[in-house]
Amino acid sequence: MRVLIQMKPERDVVEAVANPQLTATTQDVAGSMPGVEMDQSFTPVALPRPLPSTGGGDPLSLTQSLRFSMRPEDATVMVRGEIHDYDAASRLSMLALSRPEIVGISADPVIQTSPTCPGDGPVGTSQDVKNFFAELGADDLDGNGVAVAITDTGINTQHLINELGHPVTVDAARSWNPPGVPGRPGQFPVDHGTMCAFDALLAAPKATLIDVPVLLSQAQGPTVMSGLLSDAVAAYAHLWSVLETMPDDKRALVVSNSWGSFSPRWDFAPSHPGNYSDNPGHPFNLMVTALESAGADVLFAAGNCGLDCPDNRCEFPDRPIVGANSHPRALSIGGVDTRGHRVGYSSQGPGRLDANKPDICAYTHFEGSHAFGADAPDSGTSAACPVAAGVVAAIRTQWSTNVLKPAELRTLLQRTADDRGAAGFDFDYGFGIINVPSIMDALRRRSKNGHGTRR
Amino acid sequence: MAPDKPTSLVTVTLPSGATLEDALRKLGIGREAVDTDYGLVDLHNGTYALLVTEAVAERVHGMPGAQGPYANPKIEPFGPPQARPDED
Repeated sequence: MRVLIQMKPERDVVEAVANPQLTATTQDVAGSMPGVEMDQSFTPVALPRPLPSTGGGDPLSLTQSLRFSMRPEDATVMVRGEIHDYDAASRLSMLALSRPEIVGISADPVIQTSPTCPGDGPVGTSQDVKNFFAELGADDLDGNGVAVAITDTGINTQHLINELGHPVTVDAARSWNPPGVPGRPGQFPVDHGTMCAFDALLAAPKATLIDVPVLLSQAQGPTVMSGLLSDAVAAYAHLWSVLETMPDDKRALVVSNSWGSFSPRWDFAPSHPGNYSDNPGHPFNLMVTALESAGADVLFAAGNCGLDCPDNRCEFPDRPIVGANSHPRALSIGGVDTRGHRVGYSSQGPGRLDANKPDICAYTHFEGSHAFGADAPDSGTSAACPVAAGVVAAIRTQWSTNVLKPAELRTLLQRTADDRGAAGFDFDYGFGIINVPSIMDALRRRSKNGHGTRR
Repeated sequence: MAPDKPTSLVTVTLPSGATLEDALRKLGIGREAVDTDYGLVDLHNGTYALLVTEAVAERVHGMPGAQGPYANPKIEPFGPPQARPDED
């Protein structure tokens, strides 16, 4: 997190900061501080001391007549820097203890124009997203021969063909419906799942889609588009079987999940052994582990409960990235618009199963599939997740899981991400925005150095 | 009182290739107490998942080789995000 550090250095340093004719740098004021990356480009600012205007006034009250003293013995100096998000509260305490001249530490939030929020119009188009990923196609990384499972509300192939303008393959034999769900793969009404499929195909236009309409379960649920987690358990068991039939040297299954739980009311309490949100031992969380161990790349949307403008359905009071959406063996995907700004509804970490979530961000809120109408953007971390899944599928075109394991690929995506927000990992952007040119550089280096061979 | 539908998620330890009948025998329950459409789901770690009535889930709790009940929460798509009333 970015921090402002208010200090009371030596009198001559205060004078140098306060006097516009003199120059004092952050280094002069603060030197180096343990655990803080000081912003040396920031010119230290002198802060006057508020004092009661009248004798005998309350020295701690701001609700009275005040005068402000910039005299060297009264004024303080402010510098700025960054500390790691991890265990920030302890770090702040230790920092204050380590340097007695520190008189205050406060947050230095990013000031920007209003973030993209629910109901806002699209920011950019799917062509913009494709342009970010153009280097994949130039190297024939197009998803050919890679299976991408869309676990959602079902896919409408004809709509995808109409919108994308190229053939789309849905593998009916490897697709799967929850018990009692009618409908054929690729022939479901245009809805959320079709949007997800469209977005996955932006980076991997030749990927083979596996249609898993888990959210169309006929099991109880107050809305048409909702299922129960047990349906996802069964879906993952099916996908595990799909993966097991693939030869080792061709193994490539990307699983895109743009769904989750909005409310703790549907879960057992965290102290209950059957809890889902906080419990890696829940059967679904175990299935995520099993599928990833077998070689699948599993991606989950981080969720739409960002602090700036959360989805109306969000009910978790804090830490809204829950359950498998925060699974350590899955990539948790936050959302940015095509300008590279985090959308205000993209859920922030820490996650519940793994604190360091989201992992990375991908693009959302652009004009794309028109699944929800001509003017409605592909939005939510729902869109960001399959956008990232498409990039993973494109990589898998030539890098099967036996040469680049899912964990290695996750690390690659994290390491190459375009860092935003605070330096390094932070709870807004994770490691940053998915960055295809850097991914390509890393893969080429890996290939050149003989770390794995292509499919 | 609403009928006790089989929506409680439990797991049971069974040998590889086990069937729903094997699970019913192990748990000592009849088919009417389980969701037979859901069936027996192999979790690929030596355990299998099935949906049972709440009454059975309570009875299963603590039984050797059986675990649960586990939460079976509603899941929903993460989009399009819905604005809060005061943000419209």
